[in-house]
Formats: sequence, C-alpha cells, structure tokens
Amino acid sequence: MASKRSRSNPKTKSMTSAPARVQRFAFFGPPPLLEGEDAALYDDLIGRMCAAVKPNDMIDELYIVDVVSLEWEIMRWCRLKFGLLQAVAQNKLKWFLNQRLDYEAYAEASANALGEILTEILPESPQNNIAEEAKELAHQYVQSQPEAVKKVMVVLEAAGLDADRILDQAKAQRAEELAQEYVRREPKATKLVKELLASSGRTMHDLMLVDLPGKLDEIERIDRLITIAETRRNISLREIDRRRAVLGEALRRKVQEVEEGEFEVIETTRAEGQSPVQARRESRTATGRTLRGSRTAIVKSSKVNQAKGTIRRG
Amino acid sequence: MASTRKIQANRANARASTGPKTARGRARTARNAFRHGLSVPVFSDPVFSEEVDALARETAGSDADAEILELARRVAEAEIDLRRVRYARHQLVNSALSDPDYESEARVREKDALVLRCMRVGGAFTPMPYDVVEFLDSKPSGPLKLAMILSDKAGQLLAMDRYERRALSRRKFAIRAYDISCMVLWKLSQVD
Repeated sequence: MASKRSRSNPKTKSMTSAPARVQRFAFFGPPPLLEGEDAALYDDLIGRMCAAVKPNDMIDELYIVDVVSLEWEIMRWCRLKFGLLQAVAQNKLKWFLNQRLDYEAYAEASANALGEILTEILPESPQNNIAEEAKELAHQYVQSQPEAVKKVMVVLEAAGLDADRILDQAKAQRAEELAQEYVRREPKATKLVKELLASSGRTMHDLMLVDLPGKLDEIERIDRLITIAETRRNISLREIDRRRAVLGEALRRKVQEVEEGEFEVIETTRAEGQSPVQARRESRTATGRTLRGSRTAIVKSSKVNQAKGTIRRG
Repeated sequence: MASTRKIQANRANARASTGPKTARGRARTARNAFRHGLSVPVFSDPVFSEEVDALARETAGSDADAEILELARRVAEAEIDLRRVRYARHQLVNSALSDPDYESEARVREKDALVLRCMRVGGAFTPMPYDVVEFLDSKPSGPLKLAMILSDKAGQLLAMDRYERRALSRRKFAIRAYDISCMVLWKLSQVD
C-alpha cells in the first residue's frame, strides 16, 4: 500500500517535446503505407495530431496512432474511389475516341509509326538514307498517293505485315494520348474531345455511365472500407474524449476539495481572565476566519496550482 | 465377412498410410491448417511476448505495482494482437500491389475464354484482332489494380476485419479497466 501512496498518476506524467513523441511512435511499428505513399506526409500527420491532442501517456499515444492510421486509410480509400472513377472515364473516352477520331487527327501518328516500321524493313540502298526515305514514303502513304501506297503495300506484304493493323494501332495510341491529355486538362485536347462529344450528342457523364455499373461492386466495397475506417476512427476519438473527461472530472473535483479545504473556520479559544462577551467581540473584529497554519495553506495552494496546471495541459 | 488374413492386411495397410513419417513431413503437415495465424494467442510467440512485456512496462511505468502491470499487460496484449492483424492485412494488399505481374484469377479466366473464342472463330493460326491482343497484353495499374486486389482479396480481408474488430474491442475494455484502476489508485494516494 505504501508503494501505491507514493505512486503518481500515470495519466499525468510529464510531457515530452513533440519531436521526441514522434520518435516514440516508432514503438508502434512501421507506418502502414502502401506502395507509392509518402512516409513524410504520414509523419507530418502524426506530428500535427500530437500537437493538437497533446498525449498524456502511452495509451493516448496508442489512440493517436490509431486515429492517424485510420485517417490515412480513409484518405487512401477516398483517393482510390476518385481514381477509379477517373480511370473508368478515361478508358471509356479512349474507346470513344478510337471510334470517332478523324483520320486527320491521327494521320501524323500513323505516318510516324509507319515510318519507324519501314525504316526497319526497307531494302538498303547505297544512294539514299533509309530513315529519310521511309519517313517520306510513310507521309506519302498517309496522304494516299497511289505510288507510295502501292510501294508500301508491297514492302509490308513481303515482311508479312498489315498496313491497316499498323494504322489501327497508331489510331488507338493517339486515342490514348488524347484521353490522357484530356484528363490533364490540356486545352487543345479538351477542345477536340468536346467537339467530338458534341458532334455525337454525348457528354462525359454519358460515357461514364456505360461502364459504371460494372464498377459498382468495387465502389461499394471501397465505400464499406471507408465507413469501417471512419467508425473506428470515431470510436478512438471518443475514447480519447472519455479518458480526458475522466481525468478532467477527477482533477476538477480534487481542485474543488482543495479549494474548500484551504480555509477552515476554527473556534477561537478564550484567553485567561477574559469574559465570554469580550472574547466574542474580539473575534468579530478579527476576520472571523483564521488560517489553521501558514505551512498547510502553502502546501494546499501548491496542490491547487498543480491540479489546475494539469487540467490546462489536459 | 472378411477373412482374418484380409482384416490383418487392411490394418497393416492402414498403419502404413497414416501420414508422413519423417520429421520434415510431420512439420509440414502440422502447418496444413495454418492460414494466417491470427487465431494463435500472442503469448505463444516469444517475439510477441517480449513486445507485450515491453509495451506493458512502457504503459504502466517502471514503478507500477503488480495489479497495474497486469492490467497494462492486457492492454498491450490486445494492442499487439491488433497490430499483428493490421500488419497481416496490410501485407496482403501490399504484396499484391507491389507484384508487377499480379493478375486476378477472374481476369486470367476471361483472357483464356477470349483466346479460345478467337481460335474457334478464326482458327489457330489467324492473328487475333488488335483490341484482343491489347487486352491480353494489358496489366492493370494504379487505382484499377488496387480496386481489383480489394475485390480478389475481399474474403480474406473480411476475415481479418473480424479479428481486428475483436482485438479492438478487447483493447477498449482493457484500457477502461486499466484507467479505472489507475484512477482509484490515484484517488487513494491523494486521500492519504
């Protein structure tokens, strides 16, 4: 029992500095980061949470780690949901552009792709530079110049390649590039996509709606993860509140007790030879209240201040 | 009715086929039912036990009495259990995410079906359409990959979630018990 008496409340241990606390969080294991997530941001979040909550003990720290990791998870799943919707839109836009893209829009890309292939398969000639010749031939081919078309067909056929397939690939690649440029909000691509959508009487929302039903299960699953993480985070926050309330209430009660006990009414004793009436008169002229002892009063005052300080910190 | 000889032969055969004999074989089959090890108590692992003790000491303080230390140990046990579940869950997702060749079983089946359909329609030596080739070559990345992993591992994640929920509940009540004891102790010390 003696050890219990001398023991201080573990909830009111001395505070350590913020960086030291962040260091102490290493005790709770590595941060739960997925590939591509920033550890510095996570540490920053822990630091900010510590500064806001000011943990009193290990259990407070444990709850802070919980809240931070759950908050991180919530942000991750929200980001994932947004990214998923964006990816669905981008894929559908790519498909749409592949269907609707004008020949002029991907002619340059086709010429480049064809030029690269021709450079590899054209027969070598000492007079000409093959790369130049292939490039020129490819450009003439995409402009549908009969001689160039005939020559390219012969060369490709000899190599077992199909010109239409090469052009299709170039078109698909251009559609993908355009979709990415649209997501990055590049003005030229945005204008082109809007024109194509308007000409077909559709909007981006229409395109998204086509593929969205296939992703609803995944979105619902992510929503469930968000809900679970939010619920758990809120429980952790509530537990921190509860611990603070218990601590705060106990300290408040203690402060009240100490404040009430600081001054005590004590009976004045009659001096020898003094009549009761005289003694009463003297006691009225005095404060009526007398400190039991200055030493006790100082001790109790220091206790009050200590308790008040702890509440303030808490 | 089987003859005595037949019964004896059956018994001898049965004795001969009652599982692995070698220590290595026995060790391997002992882990047949092992899935994630989350149902195994924390104290059965010496590493986790040490962590529990360290965390309990850190929580209760160096001058804690036996009662408080025991309550802190319960908190620490639940916390380590929780950490173990969370780590397993995290590893499940992260290992799949960091695998560049990760492919879900559903997508593999879809690709197989597509190839078979193409072969049936155009013959074995006919080149497949560009979009089919593109789909066969494609590998999910970014949010699509993570969403796919979550779908594939939904069952396992759900099972782990149950373990996490239990550990959280145990920790909450352990902390409450610890708090009450600390408060009582503190009040006693203040009264005295």
